[in-house]
Amino acid sequence: MAKPKVASDWLAGCAGCHMSFLDIDERIVKLVELVDLRATPITDLKEPDEEGVVVGILEGGINNTTNERVAKQMRKRSKILVALGDCAVFGGVPAMRNFFTLEETLRRAYVETPSTDSSGKIPSSPELAVPTRVRALSEVVQVDVFIPGCPPDADIIFFALSELAQGRIPKLENNNLMWN
Amino acid sequence: MVNLTIDEKQVEVKEGTTVLNAARQAGIEIPTLCDHPELTPYGGCRLCLVEIEGAKTLQPSCTMPASNNMVVKTDTEKIREARKFILTMIFSERNHFCPYCQVSGGDCELQNSAYAEGMTHWPIQPNWKPYPVDASHPYIVLEHNRCILCRRCVRACGELVGNFTLGFEERGAESALVADLGLPLGDSSCISCGTCVQVCPTGALIDRWSAYLGKEIDVETTNTICLGCSIGCSINVLTRDNRLVRIEGDWDGEINDGVICDVGRFHPMNEDRDRVLTPMVRKGGALKAATWDDALAVINEKAKASKGKIAGVVSTRLSLEALDTFNQVCHELGVTAVSSTEEGRSISQAFSVLVKNSKPFEAKFNDIKDADCYLTVGEDITKDHQVVSFFVKRNLPGGAKLIQVSSAATGLDNFANFSLHVADDKIAGFLKDFSDSVRSGADYAKVATKYSLDEKFLEEAGSAVKSAAKLAVIVGSRYESADSSSIEEAAASFTFGLKGKLVSTKGNINSLGASQLKVNNPVSVSGAEIVLLVAGDERLTQVQMKKFEKVPFLVVFSSYSTPLTASADVVLPVMNWMEQSGHFLNFDGHLLEARASLKADENVFSNVDAFGKLAEKLNIKISSTWESALNAPSVVEISK
Repeated sequence: MAKPKVASDWLAGCAGCHMSFLDIDERIVKLVELVDLRATPITDLKEPDEEGVVVGILEGGINNTTNERVAKQMRKRSKILVALGDCAVFGGVPAMRNFFTLEETLRRAYVETPSTDSSGKIPSSPELAVPTRVRALSEVVQVDVFIPGCPPDADIIFFALSELAQGRIPKLENNNLMWN
Repeated sequence: MVNLTIDEKQVEVKEGTTVLNAARQAGIEIPTLCDHPELTPYGGCRLCLVEIEGAKTLQPSCTMPASNNMVVKTDTEKIREARKFILTMIFSERNHFCPYCQVSGGDCELQNSAYAEGMTHWPIQPNWKPYPVDASHPYIVLEHNRCILCRRCVRACGELVGNFTLGFEERGAESALVADLGLPLGDSSCISCGTCVQVCPTGALIDRWSAYLGKEIDVETTNTICLGCSIGCSINVLTRDNRLVRIEGDWDGEINDGVICDVGRFHPMNEDRDRVLTPMVRKGGALKAATWDDALAVINEKAKASKGKIAGVVSTRLSLEALDTFNQVCHELGVTAVSSTEEGRSISQAFSVLVKNSKPFEAKFNDIKDADCYLTVGEDITKDHQVVSFFVKRNLPGGAKLIQVSSAATGLDNFANFSLHVADDKIAGFLKDFSDSVRSGADYAKVATKYSLDEKFLEEAGSAVKSAAKLAVIVGSRYESADSSSIEEAAASFTFGLKGKLVSTKGNINSLGASQLKVNNPVSVSGAEIVLLVAGDERLTQVQMKKFEKVPFLVVFSSYSTPLTASADVVLPVMNWMEQSGHFLNFDGHLLEARASLKADENVFSNVDAFGKLAEKLNIKISSTWESALNAPSVVEISK
């Protein structure tokens, strides 16, 4: 039987969840014996296979139109979609900006910071993704597995991935359940 | 008794027990958020819903009284679904994002409840409405965005502390915790006891001094007593890597039932004095670091030359063991009377009464906790010995009367039914005249005129005393100018004449212990060539420090650098209250044990060890005789 294909990507997150994934250290060798690691931000392949993967993993919430497109594509191409980390599960730290208007946050970031000089202005170009309210992954696409944590512990990620690799939906409880 | 079935378990409980408490007694856990064992049930969060046979809907177990033949189920699919829904609604109401919250990761009851239900996410996002943050208070931050409206803090403020600072305004999602009628917490009538912080289930009320220093799971907890005053409240000291993180009241504490004041909870966090970490000896006009051996040798030499012209003064914040050891050293040196930093104010006057009564005459604190009429004299218990005032104030809404006799306005004026302002030097006379009037029911007019009080007011106060079933008189010793022993005697006569209970607050944690060991004489250093002053970690007042200004050779045992250590000839570093263990006799005669929660620097010794080293240098033999304090005649029965 062919090894199940796994792909991942990051959205409005800090890459910390992928760093935590790498913290599984030598266990990654065991993992690649079980799965076929395809497109990820830390491998050469950048887009999930068109013919689809078994497990798609997304880190980060959705805060602009590009993230929305990436999330929808991952959803379309994966059988099981995993929300990895607090940003993907809840919106996380980036969602703090939802307590303000989008314009307020952009002005704060590009015009009002102490390091901005008088020419500071909010970037606008048709090439740029359009910022939106920060949403949890499940607000945009259907999510099958939630792995909360900021970041989820390497042990938790390893547990979840090895369960998925063996065809089971991971059940997080006790010490494996952490929202941080 | 009531018999009911919970999860197929037969349970027998007292009538009036709630289903929640019945379940607890049977060892069945029902999750709750608004419920707290020390507070009256409120039924606000609905997390404790249970199925009761015959009831159409799920019922909150915290407010439902158990009744005979009730059949309760606490763990069905329907209940679990309801809990998840309730938690989802709470999470989506405000800002409950865990990664940036102080209490996340063990200290948050809301988060723990979600874990217990196996929630990996919440299905409903919040509506992103920001609420204000009130950081106006020196010790407490009120973060409305984390509030789940459980009102534990409001109940604690009223029911436990009797302060009624906290309340709620508005309705529904607009509901907001307010101090007074909407003042910033820092400008409100809050007395900073921090009980609200201790009961808050989320990060809505956080202690800014301990924030982010460590969670419940990271810290070590030492159960000990507060040495802030003579009450000796039971506390838990939380430490991490030998640093103080937080102090909490111990709910199982016999004396304080869990409440503590700002002196116990926050002042130790706010310690701003520098530590003395090495012995110092004055050489050529300046204090120079020295070894213990060298410093003790200097004292030894001086002591030999002084021919017994030595005085010993000791802080009543020291343990019985330390007081006893110091006493022995002093006696061997020929010191006639060892005096305490309190200048003999707190107990000696009570002793004159003791001599006449010859057996313990003061009541225990527990005896007055349920009194229905209180009279305070000689002290503002909202300032000193605050926890006493908590127990008085919490009884007032239930109808207890509070009469205050004082010379000046105090914090009790806002609470007292009757504030009788009488000059200090007239208090003793007033108490006698007042008690005569109370007993005879006459002459109020004469007494009122004599002390410039309103006659009707005085008569009302008198009838409150007369109709009291349980009268408690709390007497302090904070007089600006008066013979305090005459006031104390008058207070005792007043109390016993009216068959009430008398409690005197005394001063420091070991004031009673010091008097039992007879080291409580008034300070007298005139004629002494050497003064051994054991300040320990006590914060001496200007007046107290002034007494030692002209001492020819001053030896100070101190934990902290103070103006006194700066002017001393020899300074010896000793541990502070958190670093050493020992026994204390609190104001109502309980023998209490303090346990060390922190480790001291290697050159800093406990008071007992420091005196031991001094005794060794002076060739004095000492033995442990502190337990004699427990058997000496006392104003209040000693509970060992």
